[in-house]
Amino acid sequence: MSFRVVHYINQFFANIGGEEMAHVAPELREGAVGPGMAFNQQWKGEAEVVKTIVCGDSYFAEHEKEAKEQVLAWVKEAKPDLFIAGPAFNAGRYGYACANVALAVKTELGIPVLTGMYVENPGADLKDKVLMVATANSAAGMRKAAPAMAKLGLKLAKGEPLAASCVDGYMPNGVRVNFFEKERGAKRAVKMLIAKIKDEAFVTEFPMPNFDRVEPGKAIPDMSKAVVALCTSGGIVPKGNPDHIESSSASHYGEYDITGWDALTAEGWQTAHGGYDPVYANADPNRVLPVDVLRQMEKEGKIGKLHNKFYTTVGNGTAVASSKKFAEEYAQKLLKDGVQAVIMTST
Amino acid sequence: MKLELGFIEIKDVQFSNECAVKDGILYVNPDQVKEFVYENDDVRQYLKSINFDIAKPGESVRITPVKDVIEPRVKVEGPGGVFPGVISKVDTVGSGRTHVLRGCAVVTAGKIVGFQEGIIDMTGPGADYTPFSKTLNVVMIVEPVEGTKQHDYERAVRFAGLRAATFLGELGRNVTPDEVKTFETYGIKEGLEKLPGLPRVGYLHMLQTQGLLHDTYVYGVDAKKIVATLLNPTETMDGAILSGNCVSACDKNTTYHHLNNPVVAELFEEHGKSINYVCNIITNENVYLADKQRSSDWAAKLAKLLDLDAVIVSEEGFGNPDADLIMNCVKNEKQGIKTVLITDEYAGQDGKSQSLADVSPLATAVVTGGNANMVINLPPMDKVIGTLDYVDIIAGGHAGSLQPDGSIDAELQIITGATNEMGFNRLSAR
Amino acid sequence: MKPGHNYRIVTNNPLVRDILGQWYEIDYSDITYREVLVKVRDLIYAGHTLFTHPLSGSVKPNETPYKSILVSKVPGTYDMDGTELMSNAIIAFDKFKQLERHYADYHLRDFQLIDYSLLCSALDVDAVAGLSKRNPS
Repeated sequence: MSFRVVHYINQFFANIGGEEMAHVAPELREGAVGPGMAFNQQWKGEAEVVKTIVCGDSYFAEHEKEAKEQVLAWVKEAKPDLFIAGPAFNAGRYGYACANVALAVKTELGIPVLTGMYVENPGADLKDKVLMVATANSAAGMRKAAPAMAKLGLKLAKGEPLAASCVDGYMPNGVRVNFFEKERGAKRAVKMLIAKIKDEAFVTEFPMPNFDRVEPGKAIPDMSKAVVALCTSGGIVPKGNPDHIESSSASHYGEYDITGWDALTAEGWQTAHGGYDPVYANADPNRVLPVDVLRQMEKEGKIGKLHNKFYTTVGNGTAVASSKKFAEEYAQKLLKDGVQAVIMTST
Repeated sequence: MKLELGFIEIKDVQFSNECAVKDGILYVNPDQVKEFVYENDDVRQYLKSINFDIAKPGESVRITPVKDVIEPRVKVEGPGGVFPGVISKVDTVGSGRTHVLRGCAVVTAGKIVGFQEGIIDMTGPGADYTPFSKTLNVVMIVEPVEGTKQHDYERAVRFAGLRAATFLGELGRNVTPDEVKTFETYGIKEGLEKLPGLPRVGYLHMLQTQGLLHDTYVYGVDAKKIVATLLNPTETMDGAILSGNCVSACDKNTTYHHLNNPVVAELFEEHGKSINYVCNIITNENVYLADKQRSSDWAAKLAKLLDLDAVIVSEEGFGNPDADLIMNCVKNEKQGIKTVLITDEYAGQDGKSQSLADVSPLATAVVTGGNANMVINLPPMDKVIGTLDYVDIIAGGHAGSLQPDGSIDAELQIITGATNEMGFNRLSAR
Repeated sequence: MKPGHNYRIVTNNPLVRDILGQWYEIDYSDITYREVLVKVRDLIYAGHTLFTHPLSGSVKPNETPYKSILVSKVPGTYDMDGTELMSNAIIAFDKFKQLERHYADYHLRDFQLIDYSLLCSALDVDAVAGLSKRNPS
């Protein structure tokens, strides 16, 4: 018996066209198309691409929900043992589509998934959730990528446990797996040390967690004259969430005026956050965004002034890159408005 | 300082009426060894019985609970004797000539505390993880006098093992070694003259020193009472450092590891070629936070004083020592001394948790001995040396770890030396 | 022995209470290992200084029921490093699988002894001498 594989590719690899054809809607084809044929060659009958789904990159980006639904429906019907997307190399939107469509198939249908792309492809942000083979940064890397993906894909279809990332050739995904190196640890350490001394490249065996620490700013000598702003990732928005900030994986932030509000009220404000029980935040939104306390301090002269605008988004599953982008933007607005200090609340 | 190691390859160990090393065979008369071992007040007072057994690579044998593993050595030339300050007088060792019975080891086994771990399987999947499945093991099964306190018992077993190894090592005194290797490091000025231009490298060696059953001794001194200090690398080859550590089998450094320190060995391999291996800095892993700060400050200060360009830092244990490891890394990196760290990981059974209890972005070069939480199944062995009574409650074990057929489901932690943090093994993780 | 006037021992270990309680302020309660960590974390939040590493000892946190930690008796300036150590310790605790283990009394006594001796090493108390002075209560 041969394992059944469904393969997802974009318009370019289906030979429909380049950027000018990126708008094409999802299409289902029988058998292997393009890189799928390279997989079939590697599998020598042990597994086979039975269906290929082709989708334009722009279409996916602009109609993500619909595209995913369509792909899921086709995959569900095909009942494959494995779903492969890409490889996307350094194509950003293609990589994004591969990673997200694979994640949907994995979580919605419980089918093993695999994709491949260049490590700096934005789609690789999902490497902890979707198994990815690291490829070169252009399609010239297909010769190497296809066998690597085919081999790992077959392993997944068979339900075999994964070996360590460096053994099976996938991007490190935060799951530590033991394996035997060729040399003992002390020898590896000495080699690494010599490389480090010579400023040559080396690969640490245990990458430290991603640190994105910010040095605290300088202390403000006189708070009684400072303009203080409130910001939150706790999702406080005007009642009705007029800007439709998503309850998770937020794509934007909101800027709202609190001029004249002594405190936030349940009638005027709510949380848009979907990651915690909203009851207490909705009953008293000051619990997340403490306008009441800051107004009090303003009255008592402990702070100079509470800034009349606050910036808000939902931290729930929102990509770090997005959060960074939001903050870089509104930090400039705060600076322009002469704000000296920000209290950032989270939930 | 210069030391010659004469390696006598031991190809077999046999019980016999005599004690001798002949044609690569170690003949052991247990009664004679016992007599020598008992010539010690602690051993006499606290050890009711010592029984000997032999375990060879490939045999269907499981040894547990293991306390320490020691390689027999004897000093044949130069000052002092092996295990200075403990077995021999406290003279500074590390020069002259020492003979090594390579390929064999003394293993002390027997319960010290109710949860003490340590399994050595001589065959099967467990054997892949412990270096001591590859040595010919003279196992001492020890039992205490009724009512002996744990700390007295630990000391007595420690001495018993060291004395047995010393006795067996003595048998190699007049044997012609199969191989002789010379190890030499230089003083500061001499090193600069002899190895001009080579980067100056040190080994920052962290010793487990948290308290009872978590101790390491240097020339007989309890290392939690030291401040960071210097050793010639060759001193470790004569037993300057020995283990009093009974907890955390997978990543404790046995006395065997200290004698055969792999970092020392690998640095010597490059010494004079790509680096100038200057010396070892030993430091501790105390519980008191101010001690940690002081020790790491002093270790970094010594490294700077010696004008080191880089250091390898090795750890022993989990949790608390992670803090020392990171301090040692950060303080050296901040003064421009490049570091490589050797550790192991506790990433959870699924491998998804944060591996270390402390981390730093300056720790850019780390070697790992693997995830100690990995679950392993050890099939039954035909023979057990020691007792399986503790398998269900030792580190890495749980109720039901020991199956009715004698097989064991447990975490890798249970195996002696499995995730050694001196880089003794090939095991790693990604 | 280090001066006792500024130390508070937070513990769930009766052996520590009975022996070191003779010379040091003891905050003993019959709670879990994790609860000791949380209690100390909250004390650090309240301004106490952390003196010993919360993950002292090589016995893994899911193996021993006992934990003793040394903090300052009175709150002072905020201990940033202590806060970080405590939160890392709780994260580390939570990653260990809670194992089903059956302990006999003598196992528990061994675990008490280990925890006690780790603390003694921090206090420069002679653990062995202390044992002979165990408060009969």
